[in-house]
Amino acid sequence: MLSGALAADLAVNGLVTGLFYGLMAIGLALIFGVLRIVNFAHGEFYMVGAYAYTIIAARLGVPLFVALPSAFLFGAALGWVVERTLMRPLYANIGSWGLMRDEYAVIVTFGLSLLLVNLVDKAIGPYAFRAPALVSASRVVVGPALMSGQKVAAAVVTLAALALIALFLRFSYWGRAVRAVSQNRLGASLAGIDATAVSSLVFALAGGLAALAGALLSPIINASPDVGAFPAIKSYVIVVLGGMGSIPGAFVASLLLGLVESFGAVLVSYQYRDTFGLVLLILFLLFRPQGLFGERGREV
Amino acid sequence: MTYASHLTIAAFAFSTSLAASACAADPIKVGVTVTQSPPGSVVQGTQVKDGLEVVAKMLNDQGGVLGRPIELVIEDTQGLPEKARAAVEKLITRDKVVGIVGEHQSSNVLAGMEVAHRYHIPYINTNGWADAIREKGYPEVFNPNNYNRRVAMAAAESIKKLGAKKVVAFAENTDYGIGLAKGIGEQLKTVAPEISYRFDTLDRAAKDYLPAILPLRADPPDVVVDVMLPPAAYIMMNQVYEQGVAPSAKTWFYDASGLADYPDFWQNIKEAGKDLLVFGLYHPKMKAPELAKTVGDAYTKKTGAQPNRLLYQAADSLLVLTDAIKRANSTEPDALVKALEATKYTGTRGEITFSNESGYKFHQWLDIPYVTFQVTEIGQKVADSPLVEQPGQPLDPSKLAHP
Repeated sequence: MLSGALAADLAVNGLVTGLFYGLMAIGLALIFGVLRIVNFAHGEFYMVGAYAYTIIAARLGVPLFVALPSAFLFGAALGWVVERTLMRPLYANIGSWGLMRDEYAVIVTFGLSLLLVNLVDKAIGPYAFRAPALVSASRVVVGPALMSGQKVAAAVVTLAALALIALFLRFSYWGRAVRAVSQNRLGASLAGIDATAVSSLVFALAGGLAALAGALLSPIINASPDVGAFPAIKSYVIVVLGGMGSIPGAFVASLLLGLVESFGAVLVSYQYRDTFGLVLLILFLLFRPQGLFGERGREV
Repeated sequence: MTYASHLTIAAFAFSTSLAASACAADPIKVGVTVTQSPPGSVVQGTQVKDGLEVVAKMLNDQGGVLGRPIELVIEDTQGLPEKARAAVEKLITRDKVVGIVGEHQSSNVLAGMEVAHRYHIPYINTNGWADAIREKGYPEVFNPNNYNRRVAMAAAESIKKLGAKKVVAFAENTDYGIGLAKGIGEQLKTVAPEISYRFDTLDRAAKDYLPAILPLRADPPDVVVDVMLPPAAYIMMNQVYEQGVAPSAKTWFYDASGLADYPDFWQNIKEAGKDLLVFGLYHPKMKAPELAKTVGDAYTKKTGAQPNRLLYQAADSLLVLTDAIKRANSTEPDALVKALEATKYTGTRGEITFSNESGYKFHQWLDIPYVTFQVTEIGQKVADSPLVEQPGQPLDPSKLAHP
């Protein structure tokens, strides 16, 4: 049986872990919502963000409050370039979105993933780097839990970033455009929305969010070329659990996965920690394939 | 004979002598499998590779072996057993190497030695600690390096001397990690059966070990043992410290993997490294043969780094192989295996001999020297750390620095 203190500790840590998952997964959900493709290089944006922050802060000596947004911008710029150069040819000159060749997106993003991992491995080296922490305190008391100061700071920044994204999508012109395109690309285009620009924006935003997640966690998980693999896998699971393309769904599923992993590791076994998400995934696919907030199907 | 005939004979004789001298100078190819890219430990792979290159150069500068230069044929395994297996297959069948050295990961040794055994090619295990490597009893495999049982014995003795009642180990999910963690448990049952011991297996690729660590906060053990390798070990150690578990006034942190001499240790570990007790196979204050200084100096000149245990293990791996080639006066596998079994060679760490007893002692250098040192300052170099245990000097807990 769990003691109350341990249960509270697990809950806090599970929710914080879920927040970090959310920052990654929401970008993936946005891309799927707007472009209807799965970005297999999403973990590498996370890796690029971790390295960008580490290099800018530790090597170039730039202040941390500048290095962190710089990592976001670096990821966003990379996302924008990827969309313009690799994604754009997939749907350029194709009138109907339904004609897009999904398999090309899979191959291109998978190839991009391998390219980025190997580029970083050769250019920077395979060694793990620990980035400077935003908060140097090794231990901070958060209710019943103990955390590193960096983890608390990362959680606060993550919450702020998620709130900004929510506000942006809800109230801004471009946020409404993103939602319109994700509902019906052709319809949105007929209404005068530049769907192509929205695609670029979404890829940049997703790249920036993943890079921000990598930057925030790099003082904890240490930047290395393969650092993005695990968060990416979690993100794919979360996007399906939340409902493909659903932003609120991705957020709730992130917290759910964080909690399930945290409690499951103690109540069942730590050995199976990474299988809990996959078990959830199978259960959802069997009994609620549309996910938490997804739609069963959509016809236009 | 005509002038033309003389010329033909002279030309033939010249070309034959050229071919003969070329043949005499043909290099002796030695296969090397090391990790040069993730997910395996590139830090270890680079130290081993540099060590082998230093010794190969020293041998070649002295005229080579049997008048032939030593050529290292290096393959990157990425720390993956399937790649190690393929690399050994390639080295033996395509490159025609006379022996394999360099492997530094137990899982890879277990994979690679199967191929060497099939082709009956000598395989010098440079840093595979798993007892299962020895227990296979393959005649081609020799172990001038450390073995899990040795670390397990050392760790059990140290834990007993620390007066521990409850011990928890964190082991990575590899042959090395699980093998060593089990070995420590078995040795503790023998030397201190009253100690409660358990180990948790952690995924080497994971980044968050808190769910395994959190339950220790309420009921901390007397000793936490690290049986993991970087980079995962660094993350685990930081999280154990972050949760206030160890090192702490109640709990010692015993590093059975000897991480404190890794070049990236202090880059990744800060406060979590202070007061750490470290099992080591090398410490600058240890007594060592003269050859260690020569090899160490050459290594520092080549890399700019201080000597480390993997340098000496790599050096001895190549040196015992070349010593066997010299004594056998041959590179034929049968002759080499026979010569290796009769090894009595003073390398960089002492006089190396191989046991013929079965089980974990098979073809093992049993008397590997080891030490325990304590890291007493953040950023401390191994050379500056106090040596708290070495051959002839048992561990005295009263002399340890307490957190």
